[in-house]
Amino acid sequence: MSVTRILTIAAFGAVILIGVGVELAARRPDSRIPALGDLCGFVMRYRAGGLPVGRIAVFGFWWWVGWHLFAR
Amino acid sequence: MGSSSPLTAEVVRPWARPVVVLPMLALVSLVGAVFPSFSIGANLVSVAAGGTLFWLVLTGRVPRRPAPRRLVPQAAWWLLPVLSFAVAELVNFALGSTYAHPTFSVLADPVLAGYLARAAAYLGWLAGFWGLARR
Repeated sequence: MSVTRILTIAAFGAVILIGVGVELAARRPDSRIPALGDLCGFVMRYRAGGLPVGRIAVFGFWWWVGWHLFAR
Repeated sequence: MGSSSPLTAEVVRPWARPVVVLPMLALVSLVGAVFPSFSIGANLVSVAAGGTLFWLVLTGRVPRRPAPRRLVPQAAWWLLPVLSFAVAELVNFALGSTYAHPTFSVLADPVLAGYLARAAAYLGWLAGFWGLARR
């Protein structure tokens, strides 16, 4: 296994740990950090010209993630 | 929840209850995991499952929780994992997404080759979809 591959795996692992850490911090009783679900909820409120642009963007992205991982 | 009075209650459609939704998502996951990547079946299941949930959301058929109206400055903490992931992904993509410089999906491919891991990941994806739909 090459050094760059090990570094890349470590980097992605660290990113996941950071994400979990921020979510755990957000779930503390007096935390002012919004949880990921609240953040997504806020983004999905965005509308433009009567269209739920935020909702379409978030769901479109999540749909693409699944297709990319399981079908492409 | 702040706007609801003690006399109002959220109406949850019978099919939207967790006891109905979770087994449905699990069933779709078990079926979807049967098909390997690049197969027509995998494309059909992922497009159909995602499309159905997308349709349910955009037509307002899923009961939602209230979303925050304002974003506090502390939300910027989320930029740390999001931007770090984006940088790692873009750098490895620019370097060719090879064995030595794998993107996240390339790293996930061998893991998702096994049926159980694939079914579990499928369930995670669909559960994430459902969680977003409730927002």
